[in-house]
Amino acid sequence: MRKSTQHFKLFGAVTAVVVTLTGLAACGGSSDASSEGDQSEGLVTVYTGRHYGIEPVFEKFTAETGIEVRFTTGSDPELRARLEAEGANTPADLLMTSDAANISLAATANLLSPVESDVLAESIPEELRAQDSSWFALSRRLRVIMTSSQRVPNAPQTYAELGDPQWKDKLCLRPSTHPYTQSLVAGLINNVGADEARKIVDSWVANNPLYINSDTDILKAVVAGDCDVALANSYYLGRLLTEDAAFPVALTWPDQSTSGAHLNISAAAVTANAPNRENAVVLLEWLASQGQKLFSDANNEFPADSRVEPAEVLAGFGSFKADTKSVRDLGGLNAQAVELLSAARYE
Amino acid sequence: MQRRLVDAFSWIAILGIVALVASPILVLAWSLVDPSGEVWVELWRTRLPGMISSTFILLVAVVGGSIVLGTSLAWLVSAFQFPGRRLMGWLLVVPLAIPGYVGGFVWLDTLSGVVGARGVRSLWLCAVVLVLSLYPYVYLFARAAFADQGADTLAAARSLGMGPWGVFFRIALPAAQPAIAAGAALVAMETLTDIGTVRLFNVSTLADGVMRVWFGSGNLGAATELASALTGAAILLIAFERLLHRKGRRARGTSEKVMTPRSLSPLAASGVLASVAAVLIVAVGIPLVRLVDWSVESVQAGKAVTVAGGVWHHVGNTLLLVVAATVVAIVVGTLLALLVAHKGGVARIAGRVSTVGYAMPGPVVAVGVVVMLAALDRRGILSSGFYLVGSTIGLVYALLVRFLAVGYQGVEASLERISPSAIESAHVLGAGSLRTALSVEIPAARFGILAATALLAVDISKELPITLLLRPFGVDTLSVWVWQSTSESLWAQAAVPALFMVFIGMVAVGLLLAALERGAELVS
Repeated sequence: MRKSTQHFKLFGAVTAVVVTLTGLAACGGSSDASSEGDQSEGLVTVYTGRHYGIEPVFEKFTAETGIEVRFTTGSDPELRARLEAEGANTPADLLMTSDAANISLAATANLLSPVESDVLAESIPEELRAQDSSWFALSRRLRVIMTSSQRVPNAPQTYAELGDPQWKDKLCLRPSTHPYTQSLVAGLINNVGADEARKIVDSWVANNPLYINSDTDILKAVVAGDCDVALANSYYLGRLLTEDAAFPVALTWPDQSTSGAHLNISAAAVTANAPNRENAVVLLEWLASQGQKLFSDANNEFPADSRVEPAEVLAGFGSFKADTKSVRDLGGLNAQAVELLSAARYE
Repeated sequence: MQRRLVDAFSWIAILGIVALVASPILVLAWSLVDPSGEVWVELWRTRLPGMISSTFILLVAVVGGSIVLGTSLAWLVSAFQFPGRRLMGWLLVVPLAIPGYVGGFVWLDTLSGVVGARGVRSLWLCAVVLVLSLYPYVYLFARAAFADQGADTLAAARSLGMGPWGVFFRIALPAAQPAIAAGAALVAMETLTDIGTVRLFNVSTLADGVMRVWFGSGNLGAATELASALTGAAILLIAFERLLHRKGRRARGTSEKVMTPRSLSPLAASGVLASVAAVLIVAVGIPLVRLVDWSVESVQAGKAVTVAGGVWHHVGNTLLLVVAATVVAIVVGTLLALLVAHKGGVARIAGRVSTVGYAMPGPVVAVGVVVMLAALDRRGILSSGFYLVGSTIGLVYALLVRFLAVGYQGVEASLERISPSAIESAHVLGAGSLRTALSVEIPAARFGILAATALLAVDISKELPITLLLRPFGVDTLSVWVWQSTSESLWAQAAVPALFMVFIGMVAVGLLLAALERGAELVS
């Protein structure tokens, strides 16, 4: 008998502690929630997978419009999973991604809502927005050939030439886990077909590439002599050149006589259940117009609106032809690209 | 009658806790009923066999290496007196406080200076790096176990003429086995679920495969199936290991006396000092020097403090989160361990299931929790306008799902070592379960509880995927700051928040070790 009552007390005591703690935690939580409930006039909430240099852009927007920006950062697929799980309850008004495939996957999952806007139609080229206007590019990022300016006098001119045996053990690539690699191969499939794309990837793999999961580190590996040729996004070189103008890596725009350099985008879209839809549209339009330069320059990317002057360091890269016509298809071809990379035993 | 009622309540409590922490994983599994056969066939044709073999080799190497390194260090520091013993004993835990996604890069960068950028990307170097960062799990639990080993037993063994090796292998080691096994189990799960380090070293493990399948093919279904297989493997492994050790397990008395370090001859003392110092220089010295180096570099470049919200905002949020989540996890973990110890048998299996969140890659747990909490939010069970997703309570809950294993394992191992006769005599003397728990079990397991608390604080302060996805707006922690730098390869800038994390973690560990030392002083 006695034992039993004691047993009850054990639960009583510990349950009380747990309940109190949970209560405390809840109190902490409810203060956040109170601002969440009210659909305040001057608020817009952003989920963003692109976070480099984003704060000053939002600050400028708030200063100009009086609309406060509340945002959370994270990886694209995880933010998309959260948006999908939250459904109608989501606090997110705007979704921003660092890659075309991720924004179109969100569109396919019906998480986005089309925006009809003259401002957007005028500033964002047609190929750089969804057919149904559910998402818009804000800046352009190019995946290009990088070579050591000290050791490589004749840089390869096409993605296919990276498979030339002269680059055996001298090629640096990013692993297939990364969306940049996946989108690049999706672009190849779109331009030359799956069979030819497979041949190109096979020839890269035959060159025993050194896989490095960071574009910055890839460029540093080129300098260090771990490889002579590599693929990386243009803005990483821009960033390193602003730190050191003599950084010994040269950029080559690939596939200039055919489809053009692989083009990916930073994109944004109004969510399907945006609680502050109007403000989200205002922010989206601002990012596509007045905010274009600030947004793109923050990361040395090319503005989506080609009328907007790109950052100074980019001028040195010269003019180029970009593969604009693949952008909309990168999402749809993503799964096929992943499968191709896997079959080719690309790391 | 009442006895049966109490039994029922115990079971309800056990199953309640298990359901609470396991449901996000189950929800994820159930929301994807159709098996993804094609993906599996494709995986088997391409990467899966390689993933399985490298996961297995890595697991064996890292767990083995951590047991040897962690246990021998713990014994040297616990058993012998040598100059700088306390400070070094404390510093040996530093690698644990360095977040894996930073420490991995420190080592990649350092080692590639020695063996080149290609040579460094190898399975074996990856294993070495993981041992160097994970051995403190074994070290801490082993130290706690050595500390509350009856001093009398060891003294008796010595007075009977048993040499130092004999004392270690025949007395101390067997008695510390459950604790070492608990530490090893945590190392195993950390290794199985690591994504950051293995990716840096281009080692394709099953956890990496989960992320590939999920983010690569957008196939959350197949990814969850793969992750479940991984979890199943981890749980089986631990259950098997426990089974082996249960036989050799030795109960100890409830002696309050704690082992004290023995003085040594100057020669022997310098030998011990040299071996501990050697490990310290490699495992702690190299990463710390590089982190400090990078911090200075980025402070000088004026880039360290450009983080939005400022440094103290991040430190403050991290501290609040660490305190809240650690307290919840240690209380629930201790409660579960006590209940399981009382019930035994099937309850142990239930206890094992509660560790499922620790045996899954972090991002899978994060999304599992979001899916479950969002489903609750949609039913509107809470007051309108309050959503669990993105609330502090949701975040603390998610961290409980992830880290209950750490609290539970440590406490369970300590409880196992209490002699059943001590508990029985307490009962015979009329003490009920509560009094037995408070007066016999919790005091006897206090070092295990403290060790688990310190580990929880360290783990939670550096946790990333869950904090990143579930934190309330504007709540940025140090780990979020680190991520913002590392995801852009700005390694130098990640060093400043990483050092803050090391500082917070080391304060927690320092408190634990101070408690161990005070326990030792009481008898000396």
